[in-house]
Amino acid sequence: MRKLIFILSAVLFTVLSAAGQNRTISGKVTDEKGTPVDGVSVASSDGKHGTSTGKDGTFSISVPATVKTLVFTSVAHETQTKAIGAQSTMNIVMRAKDTKLEEVVVVGYGTQRKKDFTGSVATVKGSAVADKPVQSFDQALAGRVTGVQITIPNGVLNTPPVFRIRGVSSISLSSYPLVVVDGVPTPTGDFSSTNAAGNALASINPNDIETIDVAKDAAATAIYGSRAANGVVYITTKKGKQGKARINYNVSFGFTSAYGIPEVLNAQQYTDYKNMAATNNQNLNTTNPSGSGYTKFIMTNGPDGRPIDTRWADYIYRQGFSQDHNLNVSGANETTSYYFSAGYSNQEGIVRTNDFTRKNILMNVDSRFNSKITIGGKISYSNEMNRINSSSGSLNGEGFGTAGAGRLQFVTAPNISPYRNDGSYNISTAGNFIGAMNNTIAQVGFYNPVVLFDKNRSNSETNHIQGNVYLQIKPVKWLTLRSMYGIDYLFVDNEIFQTPIHGDGFAPIGSATSTLGKYKRWTWSNTAQVDYTFKQKHTVSLLVGGEQDRRTSTGFGLNRQQISDPVYTVIQAGWGINNSSGSVYGENYLLSYFGRFRYDYNKKYFVTFNLRQDEYSALPFQKETFWGVSGGWNLNNEKFWGAMKNVFSSFKLTGSYGKVGNTGGIGDYASYSTYGSGLYGGLPTLVFNQAGNNVLKWETSYKFDLGINFGLFNDRITVEADYFKNNISNLILNVPQAPSVGLPTSVPSNVGKMYNKGVEIAVNLVPVQKKNFTWTTNFTYTNIGNQVTELAPGLAEVLTATSGLETVNRTAVGHSVGSLWLVRSAGVDPATGSRVLLNSIGNRVLYRFAPAAGQFNWSNPDGTRYNKPDGSANTINQTADAYMYNAIPKFYGGLNNNFRYKNFDLDILLTYQGGNYVYYGSWAGLHDQRFWNNHVDVLNAWKKPGDIASVPRPVYGDNVSNGSALPMTYSLFKGDFIKLKNASLGYTLPQDLVSKARINSARFYVSGQNLFIFTDYPGPDPEVSSNGNTTSAPGVDRNTIANGRTITVGLNITF
Amino acid sequence: MKNIVKQIIGLGFSVLLLVSCKKELLTAVPQTSITDATAFDSPERVLNQVRSIYQALKNGNFYGGRYQVYGDIRADDFINETTNGVTGFDVWNLNPLGTSQNSVKNLWSQAYYTINLCNLFIDGMAVKGTSVVGTTLSNNYLGEARLVRALSYYSLLQYYARPYADGNGSKPGLPLRLTGIKGSGFSDLARSTVAQVYTQILADLDFAETNLPATYTSNELNTTRAHRNTAIALKTRVYLSMQNYAAVVTEGTKLAGQAAAPFKAANGGVQDSLQPNITTIFGAAPVYNTTESIFSLPMTSTAGDNPGTQNQLGFYFVRNGASLGAAEYSMNPSGILANTNWSATDARRVNLVYLNASTGKRFVSKYQNPSPYLDYAPVIRYAEVLLNLAEALARNNTGVDAKALALVNAVRKRSDPATTITAANQTELINAILLERRIEFLGEGLRNNDIMRLLQTIPAKGSVPAKTPSETGYIWPISADELSLNRLMTDN
Repeated sequence: MRKLIFILSAVLFTVLSAAGQNRTISGKVTDEKGTPVDGVSVASSDGKHGTSTGKDGTFSISVPATVKTLVFTSVAHETQTKAIGAQSTMNIVMRAKDTKLEEVVVVGYGTQRKKDFTGSVATVKGSAVADKPVQSFDQALAGRVTGVQITIPNGVLNTPPVFRIRGVSSISLSSYPLVVVDGVPTPTGDFSSTNAAGNALASINPNDIETIDVAKDAAATAIYGSRAANGVVYITTKKGKQGKARINYNVSFGFTSAYGIPEVLNAQQYTDYKNMAATNNQNLNTTNPSGSGYTKFIMTNGPDGRPIDTRWADYIYRQGFSQDHNLNVSGANETTSYYFSAGYSNQEGIVRTNDFTRKNILMNVDSRFNSKITIGGKISYSNEMNRINSSSGSLNGEGFGTAGAGRLQFVTAPNISPYRNDGSYNISTAGNFIGAMNNTIAQVGFYNPVVLFDKNRSNSETNHIQGNVYLQIKPVKWLTLRSMYGIDYLFVDNEIFQTPIHGDGFAPIGSATSTLGKYKRWTWSNTAQVDYTFKQKHTVSLLVGGEQDRRTSTGFGLNRQQISDPVYTVIQAGWGINNSSGSVYGENYLLSYFGRFRYDYNKKYFVTFNLRQDEYSALPFQKETFWGVSGGWNLNNEKFWGAMKNVFSSFKLTGSYGKVGNTGGIGDYASYSTYGSGLYGGLPTLVFNQAGNNVLKWETSYKFDLGINFGLFNDRITVEADYFKNNISNLILNVPQAPSVGLPTSVPSNVGKMYNKGVEIAVNLVPVQKKNFTWTTNFTYTNIGNQVTELAPGLAEVLTATSGLETVNRTAVGHSVGSLWLVRSAGVDPATGSRVLLNSIGNRVLYRFAPAAGQFNWSNPDGTRYNKPDGSANTINQTADAYMYNAIPKFYGGLNNNFRYKNFDLDILLTYQGGNYVYYGSWAGLHDQRFWNNHVDVLNAWKKPGDIASVPRPVYGDNVSNGSALPMTYSLFKGDFIKLKNASLGYTLPQDLVSKARINSARFYVSGQNLFIFTDYPGPDPEVSSNGNTTSAPGVDRNTIANGRTITVGLNITF
Repeated sequence: MKNIVKQIIGLGFSVLLLVSCKKELLTAVPQTSITDATAFDSPERVLNQVRSIYQALKNGNFYGGRYQVYGDIRADDFINETTNGVTGFDVWNLNPLGTSQNSVKNLWSQAYYTINLCNLFIDGMAVKGTSVVGTTLSNNYLGEARLVRALSYYSLLQYYARPYADGNGSKPGLPLRLTGIKGSGFSDLARSTVAQVYTQILADLDFAETNLPATYTSNELNTTRAHRNTAIALKTRVYLSMQNYAAVVTEGTKLAGQAAAPFKAANGGVQDSLQPNITTIFGAAPVYNTTESIFSLPMTSTAGDNPGTQNQLGFYFVRNGASLGAAEYSMNPSGILANTNWSATDARRVNLVYLNASTGKRFVSKYQNPSPYLDYAPVIRYAEVLLNLAEALARNNTGVDAKALALVNAVRKRSDPATTITAANQTELINAILLERRIEFLGEGLRNNDIMRLLQTIPAKGSVPAKTPSETGYIWPISADELSLNRLMTDN
């Protein structure tokens, strides 16, 4: 029956239409500048008749007389509705869309108009991270987003940056935000297990990113529940835009070089200085205790007959060349949009042999099957080669490796050469060291770095597939049902070869390791969303959904030793010993239900509720509910606001509060106490290897946020300011137990509390906006305070060692996480040249290495032995005498200025931070009085009584006075800096010129990264972290190779 | 409208259905380990746990290498070649700090981990294990656990506490932990006195002597697992450290009852005796499981079944030709090498000292197996029992004790048949025995303990001055971690 009525009415309608008198309207659509706009849809108000404008902007449409108005719509312009008068020609001027108004933010399982949003989200355009000399987008975020702190920890390519949103939110777990790429969470962190870094996020080509939305507060993150405490970063990759196909090709070439290399003694200076130190050591210099002609260090002549003077940095650093090619094709028509891109990037780092190569493709397709059903998806594949031949000593855990190039550059004696005069490698015959040449001390360096860089390999190859497919159904206008299935498969192939002739491969007679790690994930989410507006003023939106997230990780590999022939360099060759390596087995599963309810009244009052219940296999089977509530008040829409409307172009207050969790870094089986398998003399064992906690639960963050956003002078100035406080409780601490309890691992327990609070301000200014010249300024400022308020009962501190060797980070109640924990040094005693240290109550205590009879290692200023109150001998030590210094920047941000003059554009980004200290551990090493080479400032060391010097009297073998054995404030410096992070100058070829060549646009640019640092820090760069992302060990610079400086030239061309 | 509602409901349901699956994935059970609840469920698991106790003892930070290394390099017979803090530079120069990861902290942790494994095993056997394996086997196993616990406590005392001789054990000893710990909350425990710890050590060794099997079924097991004589042999060492010489005589006599050479254990257990030639047990082609090696720790090339990087005895002491060790410590030219009582033809000098011709430096070459350094790590040898007994007899009896002289000569003449040790009086005899120990056990970690049990000054070497018993650094500081986390702990 219904069908019949439908058919009948359709017929009737057609008849009626045909019967109506048609008229033809024609005209031209232009933009405000008078340029014709093509592709504008022109439709009758009833939607039954339509056409679109041609290339010249003209259109012609035939409509019945009953049609009184025409609607002009275009993606980039505001919709125009014009009444049809008597005339048959209409010329329409389309106004460009106010993008601010229409700006949307990604909010998790959907998007929302930024103006209506009540949480704290910052959006970064993909263009801000594209074309930068970085390997992954996260490296390029510094200074661009309030609340976000990015620290590139070292100069090794593809190192994951230290990424903090509103501070450190954990002590033992990860503080890295959750990264969601096109709706599917993706792994973060370094997946390489070699000396090359392998940030998993490098698989996302920065040139393919449309937007990066950084969600900071509970309102913006609660939809991700138990994984949201560190903030959520939503990556949206590019999609095709309405219009005909566009081809874009971007190419750039760059050079990168090191800066701030420590200045060390040359060969003659070294030889003289070390001989002086040896003479000063009365134990060593027994033959000639008072003389000065005591020579252990002797110069050697090189093949040219002149004394050898080696600058080791020249053998470790290089100028790196890079090239980058990106090609994409995109377009869309009414029903289907597509984006296809291919990228090739080959970058050479500042460390010899450190290379990064990425080959990637991405395909995004969305297709509207009919008015109700949309299907789409994406597939991306990326292959990354991360290469380095030998350890840079800069990655987390490498700081004290004997092979670490960061240390070898300044430890190794300058009066020896990497080669003997006969051209062979200079390797000691007495040990696995670099040869001492004429020096009579056995060791004047660790390994010969040249051999390691020539002969070894330590590479990591990543194959990363990310894809999803979705089905979206809109059975009725106000309901959207969506089901999305996504995968993220990461395969990591690690490959290490160590030569038998020298270095770490020497003892095992060559060593090769290959391991394969497979990290697979699938995610399936199903959502239903209702959007409804009633009585024109009430808008409600309700989202409900469920999601499964399944991750498995398996890994296996082989380590082979004792190479059977020196010519072999691959693991498949002949070897003597085979061992398993890189065994990994883990699985976890997260089952969630979530919902979001939004309501706004007349675009004036907004409220949002987010809810998520998570159940996670790694935690002893319990559900937990996370939530966030938020509200917003748009004052500019209020009547009483009155005249203020003339002052403010917009004015909104927001507030949010909620509870979110953190699970990043919890072991898949952390709740179990387990016995693992081992061997004793070839027979199986079963050994207690993990102390678990069967009541382990989520870390919880209670986030509070109060925000104010306003615009002035028609949004020429916009200000976004937030106050936030994040109270974190149930912190999972791997609570260290006294070693005497004999546990194999520390026990994860929900015990600690801490908070982060602060203020964020973002100011956007358009100081000049003229036809030929525009100047926009973006300033971000974040002030943050972190304090630990509770650790486990009876636990006074958590100590975190750098590379398992040197402990300078201490987390304790009342201080910020991972504060630097150092004994206070107080210069050099003018009378004796001894290092002066302060004990816990500030008394001066002198240290003397190799004391003569009647002297003491530790003495009072008068030379008497430094004793405990009971009269027994005493020393200065960290436990008793060290003080705490904040290592977390108290403020940071950026200043971005963009100038556009005619066809030129100039973009300058300054980043800054301050209020923190950095422990420059390399500084201790640079003053070590073993065979190590020293910083040139030792030339001003104490020499005779009365000298006021910063460097103590050198005594050969002394590793205490300089801070190697006892970390002291001598190596502590303020971390404040302002950095010219990026500057780029571009020139866009004039339109009339390029259009002749059938080119849409073409832009040349030159860009520089890390161009200049204003700082008092004596090391290469205060933006550093020897402990990588380790939350409890910030602010350490120990034998780390700093960032490089890069200059790039490029061309971006669109057809 | 009705249809639409139906559609929505239908779709809504399907949404929920799609999500509500795979509940079983929420209970992920480890696939590569056994949960503690089932660790004592079968005889195999119990036996594997017994072996795990030895495995912990064998760790490179403990008896797999470093414990012995420290015992040698603290004293005056070795010179540090690399100034590397990771390989004991601080230990060698008698200046380690409580924060020294690779010496003070790691040894402390590993020894206590071993102790906790023993305690967990002892507890677990009472709860379940004994019923799984039967009483006899259970007692054997418990004897092994208690022996390893005793050895661990004894070893800790040597570095972290004042020697027994200083105040007859009245000085602060160690936190004495005797029950197994699996979770948090047990950090605080005060130090017992040195004497209290020794009392526990002896109680464990007495239990072990009573309950351990007399022998195993193979030479290999007789060397790598504790048997009755292992307990007795260790007691001679422990009592010697306590200067309880009468007890050393009692225990030593059980294993060397003969009045004159050849000496041999004839108590119905393993027939421990000296090998005719020291190169049978050390050097280029050693046999690790002879009756002389009362207790040694076995190594294989499988990763984890050897001491690991920078922990191996061979790595520290040997530099032989093109490969082998790292030559971390050469022999002090003015140490035992310079002693004229060690003859040039002594097999121990001829075969177990290596001269690097290019540098002129000499190295102890008892452990000549190259990387991955599979030489068994010696814990106690029959030669030590003989010299322990000899010293106790010499000290207990004024004059020149005949058996003591016979015992020390048994050790000397094996390697240096041309020389016969003589002594004019008790002091000379004692000194001869101490010298013999110094030569015989080079590279086996006994030298430092021999100095300290007698409260002697640690002699100077190279650039390191002598250390008197009253000076800081005579014993190690306590691990900084222990001090920070155990609120009842006190530093040295």
